[in-house]
Parts: sequence; structure tokens; C-alpha cells
Amino acid sequence: MSDCVLAFDGIGQDFPSPGQRSTIRVLDGISFEVGRGKFVAVIGPSGCGKSTLLQMAAGLLVPTRGAVRHRGRKVMSINTEVGFVPQQAQLFPWKTLAQNVELPLLLRGVAADERTKRVASALGSVGLKGFEKHLPSQLSGGMQKRGSIARTLVYWPDIILMDEPFGALDAQTRMVMQNDLQKLSLEAGATVVFVTHDITEAVLLADHVVVLSQRPSRLLANVPIELPRPRNMFEPFRNPGFEAAYDAVWTEFRSQIDIGHVH
Amino acid sequence: MNEGKPISEMAYHAPSSVDDAGISGERLATRAAKPLQWFLKLLPGIALLLFWQWASGRLIKEIYVSKPTAVAHRLFELFASGEIYPHLWTTGQELVLGYVIGVAGGVIGGYALGRSPRLARIFGPYVMAFYGVPKIALAPLFIIWFGIGMGSKIALASIMVFFLVFYNVFAGVRSVDRELVNLTLVMGANQRQLTYHVFLPAAAPFVMLGMRLAIPYSVIGVIVGEFTSSAQGLGLFIHEASSTYDPAGVFAGIAILVAFVTIANFLAGRLERRLLRWRSLSGAGPIDI
Repeated sequence: MSDCVLAFDGIGQDFPSPGQRSTIRVLDGISFEVGRGKFVAVIGPSGCGKSTLLQMAAGLLVPTRGAVRHRGRKVMSINTEVGFVPQQAQLFPWKTLAQNVELPLLLRGVAADERTKRVASALGSVGLKGFEKHLPSQLSGGMQKRGSIARTLVYWPDIILMDEPFGALDAQTRMVMQNDLQKLSLEAGATVVFVTHDITEAVLLADHVVVLSQRPSRLLANVPIELPRPRNMFEPFRNPGFEAAYDAVWTEFRSQIDIGHVH
Repeated sequence: MNEGKPISEMAYHAPSSVDDAGISGERLATRAAKPLQWFLKLLPGIALLLFWQWASGRLIKEIYVSKPTAVAHRLFELFASGEIYPHLWTTGQELVLGYVIGVAGGVIGGYALGRSPRLARIFGPYVMAFYGVPKIALAPLFIIWFGIGMGSKIALASIMVFFLVFYNVFAGVRSVDRELVNLTLVMGANQRQLTYHVFLPAAAPFVMLGMRLAIPYSVIGVIVGEFTSSAQGLGLFIHEASSTYDPAGVFAGIAILVAFVTIANFLAGRLERRLLRWRSLSGAGPIDI
């Protein structure tokens, strides 16, 4: 890829195992690239270190082996050019929704009138107009998640890292959120790395699906998904070619699931 | 009359739908309940005072326990003659200064050690050791160091307040969600912004709890200091009253101290409601006892 924004280059990660001197190898020689404006989904069985990859891209963790490169620069400290959407919404409970969304701009020294404009537009784009003065506790789970996404979109990050963002939502809210995310990322031409354990979600949203194995986790496949956009998030099987795309990912993933075993 | 409505809906809409006849009936009931609640609250106190008044001179000699009317009379005398004012002024200054110094030290120390695991490893054991020292045993030593004036009482009160606030703030800062901190760093925060936007607001409920718990301890510190050795103050007044067999004077002094604590608690409650408005709106509510 010539217009590569983010590159994972031979990533290996060991974690100390609790109560022992030995270490657990979590990631082993993982390499893939994320092109500009591309949506890359990372799937793998639970505990395989998918989220660890995102932490590395955000500069919160330096890999034991290998390196993450953001536009050619090795990520060694906190990477403020990315946006991070965590599993829980993690809005500040003491700030109103508008104050939450405004915070990144405030931290970056954006002027007040510019802040107001961008907060309004970010809240509008996630459909939360009219809830500016609400505290997070006064919003539903889905609305908190939208707020969390708005707080990331508002500072126009170069890459958006999403760590199972819809995992905790109910099925209906989830479909709506997936649909809105597709619309938002298409409009903004955003580069997204999206960690999930849901194959349908990965296939529906992504341009590429990176499949990881069980621990110690290796890269099994990097499957391109060439379904036309916009895709129908509510009826996955109505998308022409969905079945074949799902099969391509499932074939790689199947070996990693011990049917009948509890993880 | 609410038949057909799901229970959850009734619960959610109860406070807002005033036009509903059943609901306004409920509101009337709550309005009537307020004075009743106050009455129930005051009842045990009134009963105790009545019993005290009755028992004094009947069950126990008045020289031991005085009686409410005598205490009230004594209080009136003390304020009317102005005899109590110098004591009040001295003790008031000692309380406020001791409390403020203790809270400031506790917040700064607790915050510093909460933020820095390295500092906590080095100084943690020392703080723990000094926490274990019975502070009251230090009173004579403080008199030698700081004299019999206000200095020794301020020192004693502030050291008692310090530890309570310190441990609460320390725990509060430690409890801040690591992921929230990381997120804020990725959003572009520097250390100063992290303190202002994340750690201080997150620790605020703990700071408030420590501040409220510390109020009676500052009074204990000051009074013990004044008992040990002093030239002026409510502690001295109570001490002298008890050594001259004047129980009404002792109780009058105690009543003034109780008033002090009550006012301080009230002010702290007001501050808490202001600072932690987001918590009561979130349904957590203030830590009112």
C-alpha cells in the first residue's frame, strides 16, 4: 500500500504472568498495514490481544518486539494524532455532554468560538443535538456511546481506533450504531481500526478483516471485503456477495473456535 | 386509576406529571410529611431534655448533672456578661486555622502520594507509622514546642485533621480509572490539564468526605490542647468549670462546641452540594448522615 497511514511491523508482546517469573506470549510477529481512508476490522478469539494492538497504536504500550509506525514515524510515546473509542463510553461523569465533547479541543488550545462550532457539528453528526446540557448519567447506553464517538470525531484525528465499541449495546441499538458509523466514516473519509469479536460486524463494516489466532496470537489472514457501499446493516444477507465474504473470514476463523468449550 | 400503565412508566413519569390527579394527591402527602418528619426528628431530643430536667434532683443529685434550665440560664449569663467572648474567639481561631492547615496538608500530601507510586512506596510506611501514634499523647510535647498559646492547639488540631483528609484523598486519587486517564492523555492532555480535568474532579467526593469526617477531630485536637495547658479558650473554660464543681458551666461549654460542629457541618454540606452537583443529579446523593 503506497498511502499507508498505520503499519504494524512484526509486533510481539509478552506479559508477565501473575505470580510467576515466566512471561506469557500474547502477540507473535503480527504485521499488517492500514491505508488512508480504509476501515480495517481486527477479529480474534477473546484474550488474543486485539485490544493490545490498539493500545500500541495509541502509544500507551510499547511492544516487546517490532514497532508500530504512524505515517512512517515509530510510535514511542502517547500518540495524540489518533482518536480512541473504548469499550465503555468513558464520558466524564462530572461534565455535561457538550463539555465532554469540548474537552479535547480545550486541551489542544482551540479558540472558544471555534470550539462551540465544532462541538455543535460533532453532536449533530451523531444525532445528539438537544442533549448538550445532559450529564452522562442522564443518557442511555447508546447515547453515551454516541457522545464518546462525538468526543473523538470533534478533533479530526488522523486515525480512529475503536475497541469493541458496540460490544456492550443491545442488538437493536447496535445495528443502528453500525449503520451510523458506516455513514459517518464514509462522509469523513476516516481511517478506522475496529477491534471486534463479531464476524458479521467485521464483514459489514470493513474494507479489510484481519483475523488473529488464539494466544500466542499470529496473523491468520488479511481478508479484503469488496462489498459495495453503503451496505445494509440491518439485513446482512441482503448484501450481494455477503455470503462469500462471510465464508472467507469464517474459514480462517473456524479453526480458532473450540465449539463446546468455554473460554 | 393507573391501571393499564406499565409500572416502569409510572415510576419514570411520577415527578413530572403534575396534572394527574393521583400524583398530586401524593404530592400533598409529601408536603404534609415534612413537618411530621421534623417533629419525629426532634422528639427524641425533647424527650431526653425533659427526662434530664425531671431526673435531675430526683434520680441523681443536681451537683453531678445540672439540668437543662440551669444550663440555658448559664449560657444566657455567659453571653450577656460577655465573659465567654474571649474564650470563644481564641478557640474559634484555633479551630479554623488548625482545620484549614490540616486539610491543605492532607490534600497536598494525599494527592502527591496518590499520583506518584514511587513517592507512595518511600513515604507510605512513615505516614502509616505516624498515623499509628496517638496524637493526644503529643499534646504535652506540642506545648513545649509551640508554647501555651494558640500555636500548640493549632498544631494538634491540624495533625488530627491531616491524617483523615490524607487517607481519603490518597484513596480517591488511587481509585481514578486508568483507562479514563489514558483516554485523556490521547486527547492531548498535559500533566497540569490531567490534574484539573480528571484527578481533582474524580477525587472531589473523597476530599469532601475527609473534610466532613475531620470536623469533630479538629474540635477534639483543640480542646485536648487547651485542657493540657492554656491561658484562654473554651477547653480551659470547661476545665475550670469542672474543677470548681460547676456542671452547668461544663454543659454550657459543651453546648457551644456542639453548636460549632453543627454550623461547620452545615457549611461543609452546602459546599459539597455545590461542588458535587453532578453526583446528586446522577442519583448518588451527598453523604448526609
